[in-house]
Amino acid sequence: MALLEADKVSRSFVAGKNRSLALPEVSLVVEPREFLVISGPSGAGKSTLLNLLGGLDRPSRGEVRYGGQSLTAMEESQVALLRNSAFGFIFQTPHLLVDRTVAENISLPFHYGEPASKNNMDSRCRELLSYIGMADLADRYPDTLSGGEMQRVVFARALVRRPTLIFADEPTGSLDVDNSEKIMKLLQEQTRQGCTVVMVSHDPEAIRYGSRVLRLEKPPSPR
Amino acid sequence: MLRQQFLLDIEDALKNLRRRPLRSLLSSLGIGIGVTALIAMLSISEGAKKAAFEKISSMGINTLRVEASGLRHNDSAINLSQGLSQEDNIHIGQWLGSRGTVGAYVRKDNVLVRAGSRTAVATVLGVTSEWFAAERLIVEKGRSIDDGDIAYRGNSCVIGRSVAVALQSDILATVQLDHHPSTVVGVAAPRGRLLTEGTGLSTLDFDNTVILPISSMPFAKNVAGRVRLDGLVISLAAAQEAAILSIADQVKQLLARNHRNVEDFTIVVPVTLLREAWESQKVFSIIMGAIAGLSLLVGGIGVMNVMLANIAEQTREIGLRMALGAPKSRIVSLYLWNSILLTMSGGLWGVLAGLLLSLGIEKIADWPVVFSTFSLVVAPLSAIATGIVFGLHPARRAASLSPALALRDS
Repeated sequence: MALLEADKVSRSFVAGKNRSLALPEVSLVVEPREFLVISGPSGAGKSTLLNLLGGLDRPSRGEVRYGGQSLTAMEESQVALLRNSAFGFIFQTPHLLVDRTVAENISLPFHYGEPASKNNMDSRCRELLSYIGMADLADRYPDTLSGGEMQRVVFARALVRRPTLIFADEPTGSLDVDNSEKIMKLLQEQTRQGCTVVMVSHDPEAIRYGSRVLRLEKPPSPR
Repeated sequence: MLRQQFLLDIEDALKNLRRRPLRSLLSSLGIGIGVTALIAMLSISEGAKKAAFEKISSMGINTLRVEASGLRHNDSAINLSQGLSQEDNIHIGQWLGSRGTVGAYVRKDNVLVRAGSRTAVATVLGVTSEWFAAERLIVEKGRSIDDGDIAYRGNSCVIGRSVAVALQSDILATVQLDHHPSTVVGVAAPRGRLLTEGTGLSTLDFDNTVILPISSMPFAKNVAGRVRLDGLVISLAAAQEAAILSIADQVKQLLARNHRNVEDFTIVVPVTLLREAWESQKVFSIIMGAIAGLSLLVGGIGVMNVMLANIAEQTREIGLRMALGAPKSRIVSLYLWNSILLTMSGGLWGVLAGLLLSLGIEKIADWPVVFSTFSLVVAPLSAIATGIVFGLHPARRAASLSPALALRDS
């Protein structure tokens, strides 16, 4: 059975009397352990599709299914639980809480969903800090980190609940070549460890890491 | 699980507030001022209520007080009525029967009392034997004035505590009232003053009195061979206001008939005064409550503004929390705690400021204040309730954001 399916999903936004189509009808299937890259020109709806697949937004039409269960039909609280326990997110901009330490940022998903003991939280956090090579930076604040370090913290935060699916939206968009490579290698390693990755990117170097590439074209402008 | 979530949300809310300390402080200021006003209002109101109750209690709640108001000698009505008399006393006593006790008295103020070389200036009362029961004055040592003293015009007296201390006199001591000797047969228990301010009655310090049998009162005024009374104290068995008012009305009619409709007496019904005091207190409380309520309302609007500003600034953070699995209920909880913590801190320092303000008012304006547990509980609770009411809209607004759109916010 497919891990994730999008069945004729489209997304449009309404502002006053204007309706803009952000994503024309798309259908796709994501298999377990796959590294799917969604690429295409700006405005093609790559991020919109990723948001729909990750339960961050709901389609205007069509249905998204995870493990055969329709996300579209689920209550918002159930989708939130899924985002917490089964999905991990990496964004182009790091989105770290500036007044929390690196360790606190990584532990943030533990604030929601199934409760975890402090010991479990701390040991998982230490494990991930070692994994991303930042064991000695646990008590630092985000504004003292480099762009690459911040993105690695975001990566660790995405893994903290041991997700089955990682959604990455242009994860190397604001990084230099070395840091981009580090992040891509970490993502690739996750697929080897049984995780599935869906990544949006238009960086040719990043696209190379995907096991499959899906190209979206820009929807035609309304006449 | 719920407890852990609560604690996490409170911790997150505290950290949120610390990001903008000045903004948080200013918004809690509005609530603090409201709570200060509420505490001051409640303590002043309670103080005034207590003072009114003490005043009326000193006169006796289920008591009627009749006092001769005195006509001038050139008043034509003086020929119709000879003022309060023993006949009035007997008449009312017979009419009341078991429904109450009537005591009559004659008084003379500022009398020099001597015992050996010691002197005191006191009020001398000549009373009937029933007066002690009617006035509920307890004799803690010795005995009170009895029917025997009245009948035999004995030279016995009961002295108040202050007189006893000033003269260093005890039972069987002889005191001189001007040149009239009298033997102390009893010392009254401390009772304090009769608080009559604003009632038209004369005041009386029970502790500074020498009480004699009315028949041997050297200072009694006689009109047409009869002792003219200065007042009557009527203690009623009835405790209900309606019954007391009904009896008061009938006593007034009875006296008016005896006095041929000459109004040469004043009748005071303390229970009516108590009701009037509480009524005016209620109006004062409503006005002060409205002021305090308005302050809280203004403070609440300030808190709401700050919350909306915080949420506008933290849109991406809200999106992030949602992306990481925060359901809408937890976003509502987080921002509601923000608001509650703001108002709670305002409430806490407001209580402190309210206590200080009340004490300041007591010292400067000499108004009595009373801090009740009710006011110390209600005021911070009002602040918390304000936080909930005015924080709910911003919190729900934060929770209504779409995670995808919130994350894109610039």
